Amino acid sequence: MTAHAIPDRGPARMSKSIRSSFFESRLFFYIVLTAGLIFTVLPFLMMIFSSFKTNTEVLKVPPTFLPQNPTLGNYTTIFNDSRLPLLRFYGNSAFVAIFNVTMTLFTSALVGYMFAKYEFRGKRLLFGWFLTMMMIPSHITMIPSYLILARLGLINSLWGLVIFSAVDAFGIFMLRQFCETLPNELLDAARIDGASEWQIFLRIVLPQLSAPLATLGILGFMGNWNAYLWPMIVLQKVEVRTLPIILTWYNSTHSGQGALVMAATVLITMPIFLVLVYFQRWIVKGFVTTGLK
Amino acid sequence: MKWRHKQEKKPLGGLAIAKKRFVLGITLPLLIYESLGLFVIGWAFVLMFYNYSSGRLGGPILGLGGTNPFVGLDNFIEMVTGNSVQAALFRTSLKNTLIFAIAVLPLNLLITLPLAYLLESIGERFKTLYRTIYFLPVLTSSVGVALIWMSMYDPQAGWINAIIRLFGGTPVSWLSDPRAGFAGVSVAMWAVIVAYLWQDYGYNMVIFIAALQGVPQELKDTAMIDGATRWQAFTRITIPLIRPTMLFVCVMTMLSSFQVFDIIQVMTNGDPGNQTQVLMLDIYKNAFRYQRLGWAAAESFVLFLLVMGVTIIQMRLLRTEWEY
Repeated sequence: MTAHAIPDRGPARMSKSIRSSFFESRLFFYIVLTAGLIFTVLPFLMMIFSSFKTNTEVLKVPPTFLPQNPTLGNYTTIFNDSRLPLLRFYGNSAFVAIFNVTMTLFTSALVGYMFAKYEFRGKRLLFGWFLTMMMIPSHITMIPSYLILARLGLINSLWGLVIFSAVDAFGIFMLRQFCETLPNELLDAARIDGASEWQIFLRIVLPQLSAPLATLGILGFMGNWNAYLWPMIVLQKVEVRTLPIILTWYNSTHSGQGALVMAATVLITMPIFLVLVYFQRWIVKGFVTTGLK
Repeated sequence: MKWRHKQEKKPLGGLAIAKKRFVLGITLPLLIYESLGLFVIGWAFVLMFYNYSSGRLGGPILGLGGTNPFVGLDNFIEMVTGNSVQAALFRTSLKNTLIFAIAVLPLNLLITLPLAYLLESIGERFKTLYRTIYFLPVLTSSVGVALIWMSMYDPQAGWINAIIRLFGGTPVSWLSDPRAGFAGVSVAMWAVIVAYLWQDYGYNMVIFIAALQGVPQELKDTAMIDGATRWQAFTRITIPLIRPTMLFVCVMTMLSSFQVFDIIQVMTNGDPGNQTQVLMLDIYKNAFRYQRLGWAAAESFVLFLLVMGVTIIQMRLLRTEWEY
């Protein structure tokens, strides 16, 4: 293997024409990759720089890249805007995301474990039911779910975003697969030591699941935090809204004030964005192993 | 094992009961909850055969009947043959959804696969840095992405038009000019497609990178010793080996672009002249703005068929993949 790897690029490559060797060279690779990189980063930079401009400077033609007279004015405007209590909206988003993620992680682990390690009548049927439910896209259930919330009086309540998210069929599926790899001896040993079934789950199984739970948790958190359509349907009053809907509301009520809107975008998207960047490794791993989006 | 069963017959009986209790304690609430889920799906299914508006009182059971009459397949017949505004708009939305998905898929692959390959070929240190940066848009909320791109597309002060002016071109009202188009697709549609691609390519890139890492280096090296160029090694060895991943990526990209909503709702809300009205947007507007919930449920079902169609094709293709 290594013997093959050593003589690779030399003679075979030299015989090719200069043109093809340029397109196959590291230099060309870096040029293309860096061009893509700039295309990826520029919109972010534009947003950040614009947020420090005045509302007249963002209207300039041609646009300026760096702010000519950097100002924190947009940020102070937002912080002093009593109609935009950012902390409350952060609280709303955090409540929904943390509540939903904690709940689905718990139910996914519990039910996944049960499907993996317990035999009972109707197990296959129940599991098949779950798999089928998993295939139903959310836009199908959106309308009746809304009608149910309306009847329960949960429109404009954050609980409305919570009650339909207690169980996540995909999480159950993933954790069942993971639990199947847990050795039965471990569970039986605990039973002999007198542990109850619940104790076994909480003290022995749950700690073993920390890696897949972390993956599922961060993906779930990201999905909940950035969710837009369903929160927009449920939360129609301004005070109860979550961050993404507040951002579009702010944009529509401050048209023509580009710099201000960019500052709001920075304040609303960037803090969690940085957290997610920190956890990027887990997120990438989660995407790759689960295929979930 | 056998010995233990005999020795501890009594405690094992207790154990069986304990296990049964545990299972019951979980499955019972689960069954209730999942029945609710089934009820919701059933309701969605029933709604599409009604002319249902949440503004009307309707019959005693779930508001069905009475002022919300049963119309059978009328909603679907109207979709196919009707002359009403809503039927025409549905057909426009379906067409736009297909245009969007069909444009996004090849463009996405053309960006992500080569970039993933290049990224996989460079040094370890840069690889991590580049991958991290390419992945940043995936982590951004789609509303943020939409607002950023809206300011990029601004007809006066936006960067896109600034670049066009720099090269002596005429600026374009990207998100609002109903007449401008390119390759038979309106510029507004292209504009949202670009924003969507920008947010999304990092996702497929990491999937491709993972797949490319699974291609044994020796295979490529051997081919290149035998005189193959890098390009030939790529097309003849790497591509066939990552075919299952490519299929998976195609299907996932297709499915999510069928259901695109956030970016378009924020950037254009279907304008100009419904040129970016996609199915999810039409469903949303019908259900929650015009109170035509029966109609919207019927539209949802059409979208569901579209999604299921792609999923089934994927399963078929994957099965043939496994057979040889």
